[in-house]
Amino acid sequence: MSRTKIAFLIAVPLAAGAAVAARRRSRPGAPDNRRHVVTVFRPLAEVESTQLPGSLSEIAGDVRISLSAAPGGRGTEIAVRIPDGSAVTTGEVRRALRETRSLLEAGDVLLPSGPATTVPTLFNRPLQAATSNGREGGLL
Amino acid sequence: MKALQWQGVNKLAVGQVPDPELRNPGDIIVKVGRTVTCGSDLHLLGGYIPFMEKGDVLGHEFLGEVVEAGPDVRRHRVGDRVVVSSFISCGNCWYCDQKLFSLCDNGNTNPAITETLWGQAPSGCYGYSHAMGGNAGSHAEYIRVPFADVGAFTVPDAVSDERALFASDSASTGWMGADLGGVKPGDVVAVWGAGAVGQMAARAAVLLGADRVIVIDRFDNRLQQVERFVGAETLNYERTDVAGELRERSGGRGPDVCIEAVGMEAHSSGPQFGYDQIKQQLRLQTDRPTAVREAVHACRKGGSVFVLGVYAGFVDKFPLGALMNKGLTMRGAQMHGQRYIPMLLERMARGELTTEHLATHVMPLDQAPEGYRMFKEKEDDCVRAVFIP
Repeated sequence: MSRTKIAFLIAVPLAAGAAVAARRRSRPGAPDNRRHVVTVFRPLAEVESTQLPGSLSEIAGDVRISLSAAPGGRGTEIAVRIPDGSAVTTGEVRRALRETRSLLEAGDVLLPSGPATTVPTLFNRPLQAATSNGREGGLL
Repeated sequence: MKALQWQGVNKLAVGQVPDPELRNPGDIIVKVGRTVTCGSDLHLLGGYIPFMEKGDVLGHEFLGEVVEAGPDVRRHRVGDRVVVSSFISCGNCWYCDQKLFSLCDNGNTNPAITETLWGQAPSGCYGYSHAMGGNAGSHAEYIRVPFADVGAFTVPDAVSDERALFASDSASTGWMGADLGGVKPGDVVAVWGAGAVGQMAARAAVLLGADRVIVIDRFDNRLQQVERFVGAETLNYERTDVAGELRERSGGRGPDVCIEAVGMEAHSSGPQFGYDQIKQQLRLQTDRPTAVREAVHACRKGGSVFVLGVYAGFVDKFPLGALMNKGLTMRGAQMHGQRYIPMLLERMARGELTTEHLATHVMPLDQAPEGYRMFKEKEDDCVRAVFIP
């Protein structure tokens, strides 16, 4: 068996699995009652005194947000719970938390490289599906 | 512009792609002067890190000239000669504050993939798959550099392009292995792998005061470079009992610090190579951990093992018993280049750290597919192929 085929056998299931898992986690589905939390490396007093920036402020009316000091001088924990009946999805919360952390820490949200240099193929599709909303998936 | 693009498993081509654009106010655009192959690129090329798309631009170790700067850039101006850390870091999150720059919370636009695979997402890297942010790589005429005030460093006049190029990744990765591995004066240090990163790790150990530094590989040309340019001892594992020789050279104790600079496609001369190959082909493990196993077994009681080689997923027959019962400390990391590059450039200017010998093959970007073929096959004693766009 050639090295190309070997690598292909290893690579495709791993990529597809990760892409599907990443995508699945961003789908709206069953009610999500757990809290989604990020730690922002800014003092609690500073975060409390400023308007939460970006997309978190846009969904603030539809979710419950709480702030607390992180231990060990790590900054502020921002927790979001999606109440029953809210139209906000888990993916939107993840994206909002990540963007908010970046805005508070770095003052900006990193955009992907551009213009694109890739071309769509059959094998690219699961990966493109996962990365088209890369900040909405994952475990956060 | 011209760029080297990944076209599929073991397929590369130089093609035309759109010029990069400033996307964030802290970006710069760099006209690439030199860009170099890395052993970790071979994992992408071979399909072992399966998050590439057809058309992705490869390359993460480079230097060049600033030709455009965003409005928030303060440390760089058009015309500056800069070397850039291969990992993208914001400089303001908790991880950057701890100088763990490759763990930056804000430098990867696709955290979902690696968070799902590994539990947490590291930062982004140039030209290193969509799991690492999908950033266009440096094997091109131009490249966008985000967070430029944090990740790009002006090269002193006293340091040539040929030397400074390797501060971008190889030298900083190698230095990190010795530094975070805890190398101290008087230590015996063993380094697996005599490629550019292994050589730089060994040189770092020498400069940090290690008493003996021993580099292990199977290619004599690389081991000769180690003896001539690094000032370390060598072992050819195809002709030597590595474990026995390391015990003998360390007074029976074993090396204090063991640095693995090989990665997921490790070779060995013993039956375990065939075993690992078969397990990898049957998808029972994603990586071949031969060198890591050897390092754990060889290391002295209470010693330190640092994993610099790139791994993607899961390995089999990991000697956890040896790790636990010998009281070892094991660490690994992608490179925290921003932590080391300024110091490395100073050492390069003073002549303490030389890297020119690593660039065994220098060629135009048009010949990059051939350069990668030579690099992969180790043809003509290729250690690194450098491309000039």
